Amino acid sequence: MVEREVAFRMFAKELNDSGLTIHSTIDEAINSEGHTPNYLLTPLGSMVNRVFIVGVITEVDNVGNDIDTWKARIVDPSGAFTIYAGQYQPQAAIFLSSVETPAFVSVVGKVRVYKPDPGTSIISLRPEEIHLADEKMRNDWVIDTAELTLDRVEAVSEMVSSCKSVPDTCECIKDKADFSEISEGICLAIDNYGTGSDYLDEMRSVIKKCIVSIELAPPGNGEKDMDVVVMELLEELDEGKGVDYLHLLSVAKSRNINEKAVDSAVRSLLAKGSCYEPKIGIIRPIS
Amino acid sequence: MDEKFAPHIEELTRALGHVSRSVIEDELELLLKYRVPIDEAKRSVLKKFRDSSPVTKKVNDLVIGDKGIALEVRILEINEKDVNLRGEAATIFSGVLGDETGMCSFTSWKPISLNSGDAVKILNASVRSWRNRAEVNIGDRSEVELLQDTDLPDISELSETPVKKLSEIGYSDMFVSSVAAVIELYHREVDVKGHNLTIIEGVLADETGRLPFVSWSLLDGVDIGSILRFEDASVSMYRGVPSIHLNESTPVRIVGPDEELSFTFDSVNVPPEPLPIKEVLQNEGMFDVSVKGNIVSVRPGSGLITRCPECNRVIMKNACRSHGVVEGIQDMRIKLILDDGTGSLLVMLNRELSEIVYGKTLQECELVMGKSMSANVVYDDMKNILTGRYLGVRGNTSRVEYGVTFVAKSVWAPSDDPENRISALLERLEGVEV
Repeated sequence: MVEREVAFRMFAKELNDSGLTIHSTIDEAINSEGHTPNYLLTPLGSMVNRVFIVGVITEVDNVGNDIDTWKARIVDPSGAFTIYAGQYQPQAAIFLSSVETPAFVSVVGKVRVYKPDPGTSIISLRPEEIHLADEKMRNDWVIDTAELTLDRVEAVSEMVSSCKSVPDTCECIKDKADFSEISEGICLAIDNYGTGSDYLDEMRSVIKKCIVSIELAPPGNGEKDMDVVVMELLEELDEGKGVDYLHLLSVAKSRNINEKAVDSAVRSLLAKGSCYEPKIGIIRPIS
Repeated sequence: MDEKFAPHIEELTRALGHVSRSVIEDELELLLKYRVPIDEAKRSVLKKFRDSSPVTKKVNDLVIGDKGIALEVRILEINEKDVNLRGEAATIFSGVLGDETGMCSFTSWKPISLNSGDAVKILNASVRSWRNRAEVNIGDRSEVELLQDTDLPDISELSETPVKKLSEIGYSDMFVSSVAAVIELYHREVDVKGHNLTIIEGVLADETGRLPFVSWSLLDGVDIGSILRFEDASVSMYRGVPSIHLNESTPVRIVGPDEELSFTFDSVNVPPEPLPIKEVLQNEGMFDVSVKGNIVSVRPGSGLITRCPECNRVIMKNACRSHGVVEGIQDMRIKLILDDGTGSLLVMLNRELSEIVYGKTLQECELVMGKSMSANVVYDDMKNILTGRYLGVRGNTSRVEYGVTFVAKSVWAPSDDPENRISALLERLEGVEV
């Protein structure tokens, strides 16, 4: 039975810092009935085959010669993912050929590694799914990814510090009773990238930067502002008996406030109990 | 041996922990001499040694499909049975065996002279599924040796029914004693050999989990909110989920308000907290759990489907596999992959839940499909709308041949307070400079 590969939540920084690919061993190939996924080892010791990202698509280029191949950049608060879609990803290619940048998108993709010269790796994603998203989804993704990345940083940190005084950190981790897939990855990462406290501090700083970036613009801020604007407008126009709804709309229009936004703000204020409708078509603020 | 084979030998030694390095080297060298390619040679070596290594297992580690295993157990019960085996009369033995980790039924297909209470070592046994749980099979190639009587705990100790929390009950429990609150209860009419019988079905809960229960006797005075203490209740398994069976001879007592317990009805009668998907995947089956994550894929087979009115199977072009051409019934479903970054799970939504999640009713979908003249339009639209979105689901899981499947009973749109999560993260990152 073949288990589906999990979709990692990972910032562009961690993925782009990676370079080592791990191919299935013959042993695993036999046991998994020919299912032989390849993995990219990240400096935090995750073996990644598939990722799920939500970011802003900023550039789309047609890089194909005879056949259309599309290259795009998807930006998160830590950096950018590069994605390629060609003839074998027809839905993604159609999406990229028509998307208007910038836009929020979600991507489920397989990790690809291209090594033009020894020592250099170019990491890209081959999209399985790409769809439009919104700001809330992006913010939720950043929080999820920050939590899961920080969990990984702390796991590595714990293992490194408990084996600090031992010359061969990796051997020490291996000797621990709870040696599992996670510790095996961490062990490989220490061997290949020399992951240590410097990198862990750098990642902590990146995670903080990412969450602070969304804290500056909390979700739903725009709507909240509109509620406040409309409430102030109602209070301004109310002379004690409430405000005629049509009058409210026309005043709003004269001040360049979108009618639809006023309508939804009024409904939101009614729902919150900030105003009420004494008669049909009359809105009266409760102060 | 050539230096370049060292990594392969290394790999094999790791994979075959019980075989010495020099034996592996000799085997591999021999195959290479015959010009067998290295990958083939490795495969052969792996296969050769894997089969010949008997694994000694405890009863609660038995897995359906195990072959060539060894067990050290005590026979708790044994019966002789005359059966018709492929046209020939034969005598088989069946009963119950156990060790300190649990009990398990067994069947011996060859004559064995054992008595209840005997301590034995069974070599080369296999495990098959019988009534949805593991059963040890003693076949022609198996060997049974008597052990010293003192090697295992006494029969009275092994036959004692364990007292367990609900989450600890599993494959290796045939009987169990516990204390749990009734959080759901309903009566059902069943037909038992021509007689109408009213039975009780419901859900029990303690602070560790929830399990379904069935009572074949009408439990006097028991209702939702009662806390029951029961002994020696039998446990049956269905798709990896245990259920508790009570009958007239099961001692059941309602726990009074004066008794100190580790939980109350109110503390256990709450929706389950979402679990990381990784944890759900580690179990064969789970009853009433919830998970949340992103929809990373909407699988083919989602959307509008047609079912056979006879057998409810999905049909294509008005023809059912077993009932031929039929008047199909329109239905809608969604099969999706939910992924939370720790694991991914196939979730099945029925028509009602599909309508909630997708936001269109079956009738609306039929209209859309009629207009577009394409059968895939609903599926494609679902993919567009749903992929990437957050979803929380509550329901039951079971492991089937393609992995763990989650059958949803309810769905919700998770709205975790982002501000709280951000401040929790900032607390964990205190002192870190940006």
